[in-house]
Amino acid sequence: MGSLQRLPGVAWLLLALLLGLSAIAPGFASAANALNVAQQATLLLLLALPMTLIIMTEGLDLSMGASLSLCTVVLAVTSLGSGSLALGIAAALLAGVLIGLLNGVLIAWLDLPPFVATLGTLGVAQGLALVLAEGRSTSGVGDGLATLWNGAVAGLPVPLLFAVVAWAVFHVLLHHTRFGVAVVALGGNREALKLAGMNERGSLVAVYALGGLFVGLAALLLGSRLGGGHPTAAIGMEFDAIAAVAVGGTLFERGKGSLGGTVLGVLAVGVMRNGLNLLSMPSSLQVAAVGAVVIAALVLDSLRGQHRGFAS
Amino acid sequence: MSTLAQKIHLAPEQRSLLLRLVVLLLIGTGLALVSSAFLGANNLLNLLRQASLVFLLASGLTLVILCGGLDLSIGANVAMSACLAATVMKATGSPLAGCAAGLASGLLVGGVNGLLVTRVRVPPFIATYGTLWILHGLTYWFMAGDTIHGFPPAFRFLGSGYWLGVPVPVFLMIGVLALGTLFLQYTTMGQEIYATGSNTEAAALSGVPVLNRRLLVYMLSGGMAGLASLVFLARLNSAEGDMGEALTLQAVGAVLIGGTSLFGGTGTLAGTLVGALVLTVVLNGMNLLAISANWQPLITGVIVIVSVAADALSRRRSGD
Amino acid sequence: MSHGDQAPLLSLKGITKRFTGVLALDQVSIDLHGGEVHMLMGENGAGKSTLMKVLCGAYKPDEGHFESHGQPVQVHSTADAQRLGVAVIFQEYSLVPHLSIAHNIFLGREPRHRVPGLIDHGRMHREARTVLDRLGLDIDTQREVDGLGVAQQQMIEIAKALSQNARILVLDEPTAALSERETERLFAVIADLKRDGVAMAYISHRMAEVFSLGDRVTVLRDGKHVATMLAGEATADELVTLMVGRKVDMSYHRGERPARGPCVLELRGANSTGGIRDVSLKVHAGEIVGLAGLVGSGRTEVARAIFGADALTAGEVLVNGERLKGRPTDSRSKGLGLIPESRKQQGLALARTVGDNLLISGLRKLFASGLYRPRKALAHASSMISTMRIATRGPRQLSRNLSGGNQQKIVIGKWLLAGTRIYLFDEPTRGIDVGAKEEIFRLIDKLVNEGCAVLMISSELGEVVRVCDRAYVMKEKRVAGEVSRADLSESNLLRLAMHHG
Repeated sequence: MGSLQRLPGVAWLLLALLLGLSAIAPGFASAANALNVAQQATLLLLLALPMTLIIMTEGLDLSMGASLSLCTVVLAVTSLGSGSLALGIAAALLAGVLIGLLNGVLIAWLDLPPFVATLGTLGVAQGLALVLAEGRSTSGVGDGLATLWNGAVAGLPVPLLFAVVAWAVFHVLLHHTRFGVAVVALGGNREALKLAGMNERGSLVAVYALGGLFVGLAALLLGSRLGGGHPTAAIGMEFDAIAAVAVGGTLFERGKGSLGGTVLGVLAVGVMRNGLNLLSMPSSLQVAAVGAVVIAALVLDSLRGQHRGFAS
Repeated sequence: MSTLAQKIHLAPEQRSLLLRLVVLLLIGTGLALVSSAFLGANNLLNLLRQASLVFLLASGLTLVILCGGLDLSIGANVAMSACLAATVMKATGSPLAGCAAGLASGLLVGGVNGLLVTRVRVPPFIATYGTLWILHGLTYWFMAGDTIHGFPPAFRFLGSGYWLGVPVPVFLMIGVLALGTLFLQYTTMGQEIYATGSNTEAAALSGVPVLNRRLLVYMLSGGMAGLASLVFLARLNSAEGDMGEALTLQAVGAVLIGGTSLFGGTGTLAGTLVGALVLTVVLNGMNLLAISANWQPLITGVIVIVSVAADALSRRRSGD
Repeated sequence: MSHGDQAPLLSLKGITKRFTGVLALDQVSIDLHGGEVHMLMGENGAGKSTLMKVLCGAYKPDEGHFESHGQPVQVHSTADAQRLGVAVIFQEYSLVPHLSIAHNIFLGREPRHRVPGLIDHGRMHREARTVLDRLGLDIDTQREVDGLGVAQQQMIEIAKALSQNARILVLDEPTAALSERETERLFAVIADLKRDGVAMAYISHRMAEVFSLGDRVTVLRDGKHVATMLAGEATADELVTLMVGRKVDMSYHRGERPARGPCVLELRGANSTGGIRDVSLKVHAGEIVGLAGLVGSGRTEVARAIFGADALTAGEVLVNGERLKGRPTDSRSKGLGLIPESRKQQGLALARTVGDNLLISGLRKLFASGLYRPRKALAHASSMISTMRIATRGPRQLSRNLSGGNQQKIVIGKWLLAGTRIYLFDEPTRGIDVGAKEEIFRLIDKLVNEGCAVLMISSELGEVVRVCDRAYVMKEKRVAGEVSRADLSESNLLRLAMHHG
């Protein structure tokens, strides 16, 4: 089920970026910077992993960024309001799952095209985030949370732990459970799913809900990094996630995907951003660069994809 | 309601338009009762000005959706074109040059979108989503955090001026509505656009140049974004990298509330106009009632979801 | 090798199946014995596929019942049929491209691991290996199905069926896309299955297969059972006669036709992206040329290649001596019109009005300036509606509300309005009631009498014989032969269309 054909591509890209940036970007090639990149990348990975599954089902989730912002606000407001960090964490996770469920229901039950449904929930989530944050204090959530971003377990930074565990979880889900089989079939041949008597709609809702859960988890990390919540903290992050998935070799059709590719894609995007930062390229232009890379990846994808398919 | 309309022998599109006008009237009446400021001349004129801007942007989008496509990049296009126009105007001192730059920029982006969709065969939402972010990034970088302001009065007239007591953009709105409707209903190209959106395969097999029509509507959408950017710029009298971020969602909202189906082939510019009015009235009402601006994206998002869901359900009922 | 003395594994008795306005099956019975290959033969539309769909539980019969080992059983769904051991060998549409072979075989039935929620990969691959070995397939079970050839995909479908302990397999023209070697392999597998006592229902149009593989043959015609006999006792000619002979409804008479004019359409050595190979044909003004052949023989692809819907990879299309550019817009402007197979998906925009659909191809011709005048358009539409006698409230009615026959008239009418002189009909009377059929034949007749040229694809051989002046026969994407007026008969057409001696 892995897409070994495309993997070398993104690996080469990563290698090129590493070599190139080491040469021209001041401070790039240092252990401290590497750790920095890895840490930042974990946030993106938590979004990109479920996005991989969503894209494998021929779907898309444009609401992840707005949902992430919302969850950080929920985290902050609930923790500060109730005095309990645990309650805040639970609320943040719940918020993420609910948005994910909303997406899933709109797409699986009402048959709305994924981009429209998630565009709508983007507005809803963004609006809720703004409304909730208004006039409320959303910072200073406390040391308990801060250890998530800054802490370490046995020498490994906690965020990296999150990343490794997340990757492991998704690997098992995709490659060792019926749910994973359903994900591939949803993208590859829904008829086959139905003929085999599997639950098509339930699986689709679950894919988006899973995304929502990991958005909630990402909110814990982001909230820890920010020291609280912010309603526009993660605007556009779904774009980087989609870019990472596309560059990593997952196709937008037919259910072909690679988690390993996504990991490399996340690293590639993260390294690109980091390097461009060190080169003092303004973040806005970085976005343009990432956008160009996505379009290039998709153009290549469509050019190749058109000549493949079931041998007949 | 429906039997009355049927008795007067209205076609389904006209019935749908009438329904939306009634909704608009109801909302308007409600607001008038609740807020004394709503019916004030000032407020109504401002409302019309805002609705015109949304309509200008949504008109091009309507054509794209009618033809079976989608353009998510229009808001970013507005920002880019406005900033470009502003820069050119400052550099040359000529409003005409600025307008030309803005329009050209809009058309160019539209052309790129159109080519990506028709020649490279990238699905429309991915293509325009990608260009959205590229434009966004380029605009931000280009402006480098600066703001350009202070434009010649001749230019500002376009956005903030009045003629015969009515804001200028309203005339543009009426002009675009008239020209656009003439184009759609009274040219063969317009008929081909409807046919392409309704059933692309059948249109192609009937000898309709489907790809060319698709390219055309994307360019028109870009061009209208260019025009809207000029009006926007003229009204704000300043340009900065993040202008117009909320416009995409509002334009999409206007089109969908106006009754144009996302699946293509049905819809009118008049519907989009009413949709723009409904949306603007709702947002205006929220302002008057001192509801925080933060609710706006939420309300817009909910309206979009409800409209599309209603569209999907009614299509299912008619067995499509 | 027949097991005629034992009770059949599965029988269908007295099956009748109606669709709106059509009697697809009329009191058809069939017995499937273990260890036998039961060949099912008949023309297109004779009811073979429908019968198989009833067999696998996809269709519920209006009358009739099932018997398993001689005892009546209830079959109300595909799950019921599966429980009885019935499995249909699809081609392609039940495989997931980016899942491994083993995953595809066990889709929905993955073996459970000790750890709850997980799949036992080891066991899955081992069991898949066993099944594949039984079929003599030497492919790694970890390979993705995507990229496998058609023959191998078919084998995987068979493996899937066997792993579900299927005792009755349904194969629908399985060798249609296979090479000689792959066919031999399939036959070897079938021989093995016979030895294991599996019953097989096998739809085929290839005489050679019927006699080399079949134990029993059943012939259907117009939804009725015509004959069942042991393969050893039948002859090819006899089978063809049984498939074809019927009472023909002669209410339409081919009138006197003016002598045909010059050649207006010519295809030379055409290969296309649709798969046709080295196709050459000619159509003259004033004649109706038929294009016959079995399903999948490439008839539709020929029409699409002529019209430019599929691209030519070799050869050319000439209209009045001029080479076509291969784009529908160009073809339309040169006087071609295509009436496609599926009028709802390819011929009409159902959500638009009758008038809109009638005008769409003629826009350039009727409104050369580019300005569209609704009133003039309505007038043209109304006039066409009355010329074609389309039963509709008027040009403003939505097309989806019309009957099949009237929808077809719209498709034809739109080309009339466009000034078409060369008509490409793909199954013009499919799904249309008898009365409307006659009207359409008369229409086509009128067209040729006015000097137009017609190429008509039809699966109903009787139609081709009645209506056409001559015919080409397609077989496996190539032209198998041309039949002149004098030789135009259903048996001649069928013989050319099938693999025959």
